[in-house]
Formats: sequence, C-alpha cells, structure tokens
Amino acid sequence: MSAPSIALALRALRLTFRRPQFLIPLFLMPSIFLAVNVGGLTATTRLPGFPETTSFLAFQLPAAMVQSLMLSGLQAGIAVSLEIESGFFDRIVTAPVARLAIVVGRLMAAAVLGAVQVAFFLLVGVLFGADMAGGPAGFVIVLVLGALAGVAFAAIGLAIAFRARQASIVQGLFPFVFAVLYLSSAFFPEELLQPPADTIAAINPLSYIAGGLRAPIAFGLQAAPILEGLLVTAGVIVVASLLAVAGLRWRLADGS
Amino acid sequence: MPSRALESTGVSHAIVTSAIEKRYPKGGTYAVQGVDLAVEEGEVYGFLGPNGAGKSTMVRLLVTLLRPTSGTAFVAGHDVVKDPASVRASIGVALQDAAIDPLMTGRELLELQAVLHGLSRRDSAPRGALLLERVGLSSAGDKRVGEYSGGMRRRLDLAMALIHEPRVLFLDEPTTGLDPSSRLLLWDEVRRLRDQGTTVFLTTQYLEEADVLADRVGIIAGGRLVAEDTPEALKSQVGRPHVHVVLLNATDRERSLQVASAVGDPRPGVTDHCLDVSVEDGASELPALVRALDEAGIAVAGLDVVRPTLDDVFLQKTGAHLTEAEEVVA
Amino acid sequence: MAPKTLPAAPQSPVEGASARLPRLVDPSAVRALVRRGFNEILRVPGASLPGVISPAIFLVGLVLVFGSATDLPGYGTDSFLAFVLPVALLQSAGFTGGATGVNLGRDIEQGWLDRLLLSPTSRTTILAGLVLSAAARVLIPVPPLLVIAIALGAPMPSLAGFLLILTIVPLFCAVAATWASVLALKFRSQQASPLIQASILSSILFSVSYAPMELLQPWMRAIAEHNPVTYVIEGLRQCFVGEITWVATWHAFAALGGLGVVFATLALLSLRRYEG
Repeated sequence: MSAPSIALALRALRLTFRRPQFLIPLFLMPSIFLAVNVGGLTATTRLPGFPETTSFLAFQLPAAMVQSLMLSGLQAGIAVSLEIESGFFDRIVTAPVARLAIVVGRLMAAAVLGAVQVAFFLLVGVLFGADMAGGPAGFVIVLVLGALAGVAFAAIGLAIAFRARQASIVQGLFPFVFAVLYLSSAFFPEELLQPPADTIAAINPLSYIAGGLRAPIAFGLQAAPILEGLLVTAGVIVVASLLAVAGLRWRLADGS
Repeated sequence: MPSRALESTGVSHAIVTSAIEKRYPKGGTYAVQGVDLAVEEGEVYGFLGPNGAGKSTMVRLLVTLLRPTSGTAFVAGHDVVKDPASVRASIGVALQDAAIDPLMTGRELLELQAVLHGLSRRDSAPRGALLLERVGLSSAGDKRVGEYSGGMRRRLDLAMALIHEPRVLFLDEPTTGLDPSSRLLLWDEVRRLRDQGTTVFLTTQYLEEADVLADRVGIIAGGRLVAEDTPEALKSQVGRPHVHVVLLNATDRERSLQVASAVGDPRPGVTDHCLDVSVEDGASELPALVRALDEAGIAVAGLDVVRPTLDDVFLQKTGAHLTEAEEVVA
Repeated sequence: MAPKTLPAAPQSPVEGASARLPRLVDPSAVRALVRRGFNEILRVPGASLPGVISPAIFLVGLVLVFGSATDLPGYGTDSFLAFVLPVALLQSAGFTGGATGVNLGRDIEQGWLDRLLLSPTSRTTILAGLVLSAAARVLIPVPPLLVIAIALGAPMPSLAGFLLILTIVPLFCAVAATWASVLALKFRSQQASPLIQASILSSILFSVSYAPMELLQPWMRAIAEHNPVTYVIEGLRQCFVGEITWVATWHAFAALGGLGVVFATLALLSLRRYEG
C-alpha cells in the first residue's frame, strides 16, 4: 500500500462523494428498487419453496447491495475511461509512480466505498425493521464481504475501461449489469426462478456473492454460503485484477 | 430625460429606454443601471463595452428574454414588458453563442424559424431559400448544421434573424471569434440592411467594429451608459488628431518645432527623433506641414496622422482601456 | 454621421408576418417542433435503442426472477409477463418523456430555448411542440416491445386493446414529458436528468406495478391507492389481463387528464418564471 496508491484512492473517493450524479445510482436507485420489491412482492414469501427467512426485507437487502456494488464498479470503469479520454490518465502514468498504483489506488477506494455501501443498506434495513440474523459477527462479515465485492466489481470495471476505446462504450454496459443481476439468485431463491434463469443463476458468481451477504442478514451464521461467498469473491478479484493489470499494460504498450 | 418616454409613441424611434435597470437577486448587483437610450429608426447603433459590462443583459432586456427590475423600454413602438409578443414579432435577434440545432440542416432551421414567426408553410420554403442565397449558404443549405464552420453558423444565424424582415435587428457580438474575411462579409450585410431602412442594434467589444459600422455609439461600463454620440463626435471630445513626424536627424528638433508652430500648432511636442503636431483634422493640414518641413530643409523618415480612437474615449470615461478588444482586433 | 432625415418605417414585405399576434396554439408551429423532436431519434444512430432495450431487459428479467409470483391468488392471470408488460410499456414511455426534459435542459444550456422564446409563437405552442414530440416518439419503441412480449408468450390484445395501448402509452409519455419540462425549467441544465428519470420511474413502480392491490404491503398499498399512475397501469393491464371495462378505461384517462392539467399549468408557470 504505497503512498501514491493511497493518494489516488482518496482522490477517487472524493470525486465520488462530490458528484450527486455518481451517488444517485449507488444509493438512491437501489433503494427505490428495494422499496418497490418489498412493498409489492413480500407476499411471495408464502410461495411453496421460499426458504424460512427473518423478513422479505432482510432477504432483499443483499440484492440492493450487489446492485449498488456492481454499479459502482461500472462507475469506476467509466471514471477511468473518462480520465483516459481527457488526458488526465496520461498525466498520472507519466508521473513517477508505479503504474500498479493506478489499479491499486482505485481498488482501495472501491473497498472503502463498498463497505460504506453495504453499511448504508444495512442501516436502511434496520430503520425499516429488518433483524440482523447473524448478530454483530454477521455485521462484520457483511462489511468485509461488501468491501471485497466492491473491489471485485471495480476490478472488472477497470479491466473493461483499459480495453475500451471510449467512455461511452463502458457507459453502454448499464443494461448488462441488470441482465447479470436478473440471471442470478440475488433477488429471489434459485429454486423459484423461471427457466433458464435458475440454471444460469446456479453458475453465476453473483448468486454466491449475494448468498454470502444474505446468510448473515436473513438466515444466520451459516458457514457454507458465507465461505462460498468469500471464496467466489476472492476468485473474481484475482481474475479481474489480473485482467485489469494486463489491460493497463496493453494500454501503456499500445499507447492508443 | 423624462421627455424620452413620451417620444416613444413617435415613429422616429426604434428603441427607447428610460432609466431601465436589471438587478439580480443574488447580492443585489446591477447588471444594467439606469440606462436611457433613444435609437432612431434606420440607425445602426453600436453598443460598445468590455466583457461583463452589461451589453448582453441590455440586449436580453430589449428582446424580452429578461424582464427589467425597473424602468421602461419600447422596441418598435411596443412595451417590452406589457406587450412582449408584439415586440417579438417586430424584431430579429442573433444572440451571442446562440444554439443552432446541429441535427438540422440550414434549410430546415430557416423553415422552422419562418413557421415560428407565423409564415405559412407554403411561404416559408421560398423565403428560406432566398435567405440562404443572401448569406451565401445555398450550396450548404441541405447539410446538417453540425458540419458548418463558425462563420457559416453566424451567417445562418443572421439569416434566421432576418426570416420575417424585422424592423429592428439585434446583433449580440456578431463577429466575436470570426476570421477577418467573415467579419467583413457580415459588416457588408449590416450596411445593406441599414440602407434598406432596418434599425440595427449591435453590441461589440471591438472598437473598430463600432467605429466603422455604427452611426452612433453608446459606451457601457459597469452597467451604466458612460458616453453616447457619433464615433466622430466622441473622438473629437477626447482631443484633436495629431501628425506624428519621425525626423531623419535628431539635430533638426529645434527647427522642426518652429516650423510646426508656424503651421498652426501653438504647442507642438518633440522627443528625440519624433515631432508631434496637433492639427484640426489631419487631411487638410498635412500638405502644408510637409511643404513647410521641406522648405526648411528638414529630412523626414516617416509621417503618420494619428487620430483619437474610441479606446481613448473609453479610457477618458472609465479610466481603463478596452485592451482585450484591442488585442483581438489587432 | 447620424442620419439627418429619418427614413420612413420599412414596410415588411412578408405580408402579415410581423402584424399577426400569436395564437394560443399554432398547429403548424407545433408540427414543425414535433418534426424537430424526431431528429433526436432518427438522426442520432442508435438513439432509439435505449427506449426498447432497457424496458425489454427489465421485462424479461422481472419475469425470469419473479415469474412464480402469479402462483399466489389475486393476480388474475398465471402469466407474470402479461401482468408486468404494462409496467414495461410505461417505463418506455416514461423514459422517452424524461428524455424530453433532459434534452430541454441541454437546449436551455445551449440557448436553443431562448431562440424559441424569441419568436412570437405562444408559450403554449412551444410547450405543446415539446410534449407532443415526446408522445409521437414513444410510438417507435412500443411496437418492438409488444412484439418481444408476445413472442415470449404475452397474450395478443384485442383491437380495442391495441387502440387503448396506442392512446394511453403516448398520453403517459406526454404527461411525463410535461413533468420533466417543469424540472428542466427549474434546474435549467442537464444536471436534473437523474432527478427526472428517478421521479418518473418511481411514479410507475410505487403502484400496483408488481402485484395486485390486495397483495401489497400496507404502506405500499397506501401509496398505490393515492398514486394516479395506478389507474394508468390498470387501464393498460386490462388489455392483457381480464377484460376491458369502461370503469378501468375512464379511470385511466381521468388520471392522465388530471396529471396533464396540473403539470401543464406548472410548466407554463415555470416558463413564465424562466423569462423573468
């Protein structure tokens, strides 16, 4: 954790919190969807096959969290691709800092932001009556997993940004975020999804990340989903970071 | 002058304002403060001032885009506050940095403008074609405006302002950012409009533009009208023209002073190689001065008639130069 | 030199143009403004795609995820697709209407609105041009959305159903565009875009969007019962679920009319303020 990485991380965070147009998709939009889902679909917990949960709100909180985390990963990608377009990126890479600091700085910012995001939705949940099934330990697990998932999605965003020619291409991936969400068990139990979503959800890493966040909130400290969540998140971080670093190398070598 | 308000009902004035003011709620600062204008019908009136002096605010007040905080304004005989629709129907406006929809062609924009001004669809097509030709955009008429150069956009903007043959035309900094040849073309068009009897209210930060184009010039600074007259009269207020003579030999200094006094300047100035002779108008005294220097055997390396500029007027009235504008014109 | 003799006031060669005072709504000016509005879609490559793709993903996604909700009693259909299709249609209309406000924000930033306001055209004409162009534009994404939904198994609406769809959706788009214009005139920039889109989307979703009234949570039910968009959704839903009734139909039109009158008044007031 070098000083330049920390400086770049702080800069990324400052920019995020200074721009309402960045914060609205991260906090407001997922909150709206959360409220609508809970207000309209709570009755679905009566469906046969719906697992025993503390509340439908608790069940839906992880969906809002991963939605928010994915969008912030995409925004990290958009921010970097805009920096590449505007030339700010060139200024950073010509500065005498390790190139890796660019990636590490962004990912550190994503970790902090990720923890803030999940904490925000936990707070919303508590305010509207959701119980924390996993107690204080569960709270810590959610924060850690949220920070890690933030890193994972930011790494994906960076990997795309380094390869994309224009920021508008990265911006165009918004619908794709929702496609990935709908093809996971983030919103609803896997066994109740309609085919072919149930099959795809079973192999969608997002299902496991959401599952890891869900267990401590809605079900309790179940080892299996939490460990699966941590493992899958770590895997995504490794693969996406490698892709991001390769993308950065490619951009620096190619220069275009 | 309170009588000006009464004159507004007469036909001889295209624009009359009386103590017009615009104050912004934030901080209560005045953008325009107590301005009285009386622009005659058929006149080209140049509104000169540096950036931020209140030129654009004044135009927006006169064209009904802003409501005055106090005071009155009549344009083409109509009250801008009480009867804005009639004002709009009588005026053409080309605003600074006015948006021109990049997705539309020049011809489409002109036809849209025509329809918005109440022309029938049948009339708007030939009218648009005529104006495209007049501003030299016939061949580019069916291209999207996004592909136009800055000069072409300004010409199209002017054509749009003229679509309904307005009696009063407002041009807000029409040549800012234009290359010299486009600027000359626009000047020609303004003169042609004046010759046809259109009143032109033109704001500019360019001294030369106001000097060359305007029948009368109003100088605005800090939201106030600080001077107003014909360019010639304004310049004569600040001083007479003088002849600047560069002497070949500095030793001729003393004798050249005597010659200058004989020609008519009681107090000519001299420094090193240069002699400055104040004259009545320059052109008529010049031959006499040259003859007298020649007869005295004084060799001359160069000679120039220097006239006061509107910048000198501006300097005298406000204590500052219109430097920024000078630089761009030079 | 100043002219010593004043030239006579020039006669306008364009007969009547300068003299004519604006009509409350000038149809040919509205038509010209609507034609301009279509440029945003027809002359920008790919501009019509978001209006189709986002609601389509939303529709298919909702059905894949929550499709089993119709196993609960009260939906009146076993097809969640049929139940939420009206929401997707309104989402598309809301998106198109919201885009009108976003574009108006841009037009304000760039000075295009000033140009419109400088013409003697009435303010109602300018607003009508803006709103009707949105209503007309939404007819572009509606057919592909319907085709996608029917291909995935949504029931084919009757002729009356089609007519209702093609009336209610553009009207909702016009209402959304009017609301979006109010916000754009208030904020005078494109910065208002997230607020515009979020408020319109919320008006659609905080209603009977996902479930019938009796299945909603009490708080959601309280909102939905007072949300006029509930009636708009039910007016559209009857084209796919159950039978078309006069009551649901006139409720939908009354809701649209009421919202339209309120927002149009606000928009005209905002336009007046803008000119201050």
